[in-house]
Formats: sequence, structure tokens, C-alpha cells
Amino acid sequence: MKITDAGIHPYPAGDSSIARMALEAAGLGFDSVVVIGDAAHRSPGIEVLRGAVISAASVKEVLKKVRDPAVRRADVVYVDAGDISFNRAVVSIKEVNVVRCIHATRRNAFDHVAARTAAEQGVAVDISMAPIIHLRGAKRQKALQRYADVLSLQRRYGFPLTISSGARSILEQRSVRELRGLCALFGMAGAEVTEALSSIGRIVEPHRPVRVVE
Amino acid sequence: MRPRPPAMRTKRRYILAQILPYGAQVDQKQVYLAVYEAATSLLGDAAAGLAQPAVVFCEGGYVVVRCRRGTEKDIAVALSTVTSVADERIALRTVATSGTIHALRRRMRPIRQLSGDREVKIGETYFAVYRYPRQKVDLVEKGIKHQKSLFFTEADLEER
Repeated sequence: MKITDAGIHPYPAGDSSIARMALEAAGLGFDSVVVIGDAAHRSPGIEVLRGAVISAASVKEVLKKVRDPAVRRADVVYVDAGDISFNRAVVSIKEVNVVRCIHATRRNAFDHVAARTAAEQGVAVDISMAPIIHLRGAKRQKALQRYADVLSLQRRYGFPLTISSGARSILEQRSVRELRGLCALFGMAGAEVTEALSSIGRIVEPHRPVRVVE
Repeated sequence: MRPRPPAMRTKRRYILAQILPYGAQVDQKQVYLAVYEAATSLLGDAAAGLAQPAVVFCEGGYVVVRCRRGTEKDIAVALSTVTSVADERIALRTVATSGTIHALRRRMRPIRQLSGDREVKIGETYFAVYRYPRQKVDLVEKGIKHQKSLFFTEADLEER
């Protein structure tokens, strides 16, 4: 079971290099990190995975972008969530691994139909800690409400969750213990946090029946 | 006024947090204001008032925050939402929680700066170089105000 930070944005998108962020992540209790962007890096003591984010206005555009070589090379493919019909359609695309930015969507944009499809397809929903850490007041309350809503759907339908720091700097990275505390704010139990932190490993290397190779 | 007998005093807990970036010079009062704002914003006035967070001292790259016993987890979560102190970007990493300051002092490891090149040019900008153990390198843009910081490693600097 690998504890993974499901999304960091190193230099030049942020102010810290991949190596430094990987070093800090190892010190904060992570076994692997997903780097958003086309960056390959080998770091001792921690696995660095490659993530690609698709931001699209329509499903057609998503289907076009998943064929992009940069997206094909990625270990984990993320799609930014949109409206209700977009989310329902995007969770049924085979190449998509994670739906992210759920906190920025309208209420009920990720509903029970999308949740059921996500559970069937093994598509995860990302819970980013960045809005909880950086936002204040009504915006943070809204993000916490969205996450609580997603959590209630997850408990009912069983789709995977991932947890990301969304860090653009080492100053924005948080330890596993701090993530547990932050996730407790919207009612996530410790076991659920551990499950969510290890779900990237299951996405990258899914359980499959044993095949006999002659 | 006579102090209360020990059994009637409020039980306290102390939280040790490391201040990042390593060389950050922060004022104790400013840290207190940042912690109080974070706690009030996250937990609300009632819970923050009951927790009674206070900054005991702030030295050597560490800060010790005091709170009422039983609220230390809430305050530790609030500390993780502190992102700046007096317009300077910082992070507070919780190291340990204890019932005595003495126990926390034992957990405070001095952050020593290593020697090496003092200046590096990245693009058109000159940065002052601060080296730390485990090959960590902090770069601070040369200037008077609002300097940009970059967080690299020795290997990253050698590649440039």
C-alpha cells in the first residue's frame, strides 16, 4: 500500500523543483507523488508518477485530448469536472482515471448517476486540500460542503477517492497527519483517508485476474 | 491575587511547529495574529475562544503554540492552514504536542546553514543561495522587497 499525494505542481508552474518536492514529500510520510505536467524524475526513496490534466468544455474535446501523446504517456489522467452532463459522460471514458476540481463545480454536478458509473468504471474523484488550506469564509465552506457530499456518495456507491495537496511549493505540502486532520473537517474517518491516499497505487496497478503466460 | 491551586488550573497543551522556509524571520506577535486568524476562520469564534491559542515563543525556526488540553488536534489542523505571516509566505509544520515546553525543547533541532556559492543567476535574475542539509537549496531573489523564493536541490542547481 503506497501513500500517494495525488497532485503536485512543481517548477516552472510552482516555485519548487520536482526533486525538492519529492524530498519534502518523503519527509512528510508519502511513498509516491503524482507530478502534474510533462516531467520525468527519479528520486531515491520516493516514486514520482506522471499526471496529465485535461481541461475541456465538452466530452468531444476530452475524447480528442486523451489521444494526445503527452496524455498517453501519463500514469494518471485527470479531467477537470464540469456540469452534470459532462461529469456523467466523462466518468465512463476508459482512459480517464480521476475527476478533479469537484469543489469548483455547482451543487449536485457530481450526482448519484455519475457516482454509480464512476464506481463501475473505477474512476476516482480527487479531493484537493488546496481550497481548504488557502480559501477562507464562504468559499471554504462551499468546498467543505462539496467534499462532504462526495464522501456521502462514496460511502453509498464505493468509487475510489484520491487526496491531493495541489501544492505549487514546498510551503503548500502537508504531512499525512495534517491531511487526516483536514479531511476530518468534512467527516472523513482515518481509515477512509488511508484508503483514499493509497488509491492511486490501485489505479496505476489495478488488481486483475492472474493470467498464465506460456 | 492568589493563584488558583494546581488542581483548579486550566490544563494546557503545547504544540511545536517548524517554520518554513528555514531562514524566515517572523515576529512572535505576527505569528500569533496569523494563528488566531486561522483558528477563528476554521473553527469559528466559539471554538477558537475555548481553545485559547497563544504563541509562547518563536525562536530558531520553531514556534510553540499553547492551547487548552483537548483542543490540540483542532489547533494543529488550524496551524496547517496558516499560509502567511505579515505578507510573508510561510508554512507551519507540526512536529510534536506535549504537556510541557521542556519536552518540546528536546525536539527542537537547530537548522544549520551550509557553506557554498553565495549567488546564482537563473534567467535574468540573481538569487542568493542558502544551503541546508539533505542537499536542500533555497534561492532568494536579490532585492529589497517582495523577493521571489525558489526551492531547489543541489542536483537542480548543477543541471542549470
